[in-house]
Amino acid sequence: MSEQLQIGISREEGDKAVTVLRLKGSLDANTQGALEDKAKEAIDAGTDYLILDMSGVDYLGSAGMRAIHAITNVLSPDTPGMRSEKLKVLNPSPAALKVFKTLGFDSFIDIHASVDEAIASF
Amino acid sequence: MRLELEADLAQLNRIREFVTESATSLGIAPSSFDDLRLAVDEAVTNILTHGYRGPGDIEIELDTAGADLVIRLRDRAMPFDPAHSPLNDPHNSEQGDAPGGFGVYLIRTVMDEVSHRPLDPGNELTMIKRGVVE
Repeated sequence: MSEQLQIGISREEGDKAVTVLRLKGSLDANTQGALEDKAKEAIDAGTDYLILDMSGVDYLGSAGMRAIHAITNVLSPDTPGMRSEKLKVLNPSPAALKVFKTLGFDSFIDIHASVDEAIASF
Repeated sequence: MRLELEADLAQLNRIREFVTESATSLGIAPSSFDDLRLAVDEAVTNILTHGYRGPGDIEIELDTAGADLVIRLRDRAMPFDPAHSPLNDPHNSEQGDAPGGFGVYLIRTVMDEVSHRPLDPGNELTMIKRGVVE
């Protein structure tokens, strides 16, 4: 039931093909597929870099982290063990940030406070 | 506080809301709500995806014992003991590894005590958060 996660999508103007996915709702085992599908759509449509705006995510569990992990591997299929250079995360809630850190994802995915800051890091 | 339902993944939101409502009624410190929602969500997700491999009956019970909160989940699924399953520590795995077992890791990180008892048929998972009754 993907209505429990709404995903807004926008392309950013600039030198690089950057897409921002704005998530609103819960990122759990029920909605992880919707996020993966939307990210793959954007990648298939030609985007090279993704920003996940998580400011509207009220719940993040391990299933959501699995989705993010899968997307980083699609973006960077040749460097699966390296730091994510093509996916950045914006403004997770304190609870979501705790999940990020507990699972060690903050050590290979950068977290930024604004779209401009995230784009500048690509 | 008790909830019995034939659960599927689409009801995870409702189950997390039940945890919040129950914890509020039981006088649990709001600062622990995120941990409680996370532990129950991960446990139910494991039961549905690995135990039943689809929808199935689940009973969720929250109660206090002194200053502690006790959460019990009962199912009729295949035997599975997350309290003693091998722990996949994400800090010791490569990013390229498939992040399996992270739900169990989160449960055992945010709860103080996790234990399992086999039922006939099914499982009873008990998760305790200490010192959260206000």
